[in-house]
Amino acid sequence: MAAEYTVAAVAAPVAVLALELAVLRTGLLRTARYWLTVAISLAFMVPVDGWLTRPDATVVHYAEEQISGIRAPWHIPVEDYGFGLALITLTLLLWQRLRPADGGGDGGEARDA
Amino acid sequence: MDSLRYLLILAACVAVTLPLEPVLGARVYRQPRRLLATLVPVVAVFVTWDLIATARGHWWFSQRYTTGVTVAGLPWEEWLFFLVVPLCALLTFEVLGRGPQLLRRVRNGPRHRGEPVPGQPTGVAHPGESARLGPQETPSAPGRQAATGGRHGG
Repeated sequence: MAAEYTVAAVAAPVAVLALELAVLRTGLLRTARYWLTVAISLAFMVPVDGWLTRPDATVVHYAEEQISGIRAPWHIPVEDYGFGLALITLTLLLWQRLRPADGGGDGGEARDA
Repeated sequence: MDSLRYLLILAACVAVTLPLEPVLGARVYRQPRRLLATLVPVVAVFVTWDLIATARGHWWFSQRYTTGVTVAGLPWEEWLFFLVVPLCALLTFEVLGRGPQLLRRVRNGPRHRGEPVPGQPTGVAHPGESARLGPQETPSAPGRQAATGGRHGG
């Protein structure tokens, strides 16, 4: 049986991607700004998550049988990056989708169509 | 102090990203309704995931390094995590959308509202526009041609 967190960590970003393509359709994933935000956020996630998972003072423990066992750097389960990617991406997509129309009125999106 | 560890890690994240709003001009805290409308579904989805994962034993939390206050069975620090991390990402995202505009404002002088030019291949459509921080408005960012698709239809 596959490690469940491993499966979920792969499935979650895929689900968010599907949500974007099928429903939200913001186009955000085709922007450099999105990818730069992801890169910066995941870079900052490393020290934070590294601290949470450090072996000598572990805040969050993982069941070894539910993860792949790949941990990098330090003791961060690689699955956490899928979790973080999904979390950040869903947030940015919704934020983008809720972008106020220009000038305070609505119809800003329609005008671009 | 041990019990405050998770909380302090989150506080550090908030503290580090806080200046992005007043100093670098991100508008995240200043759009509280949009922020709330963004965070509510995010928290709902990820808390659900967290509840399932903890119920199934994927992960669990140190009693030593959390305060012991729980909400719906999760340490309240974990709830805060789902507010803090999205907030940090949004502040980053907004600053990245803001930087080019600030530069451009300095270069171009007075702002004016450019009309969008549908179908313009390079997407230099909104020179002075400041109200919206859309993906197509990152003209000085690398890879901007990828950004020109912007939203479809809507």
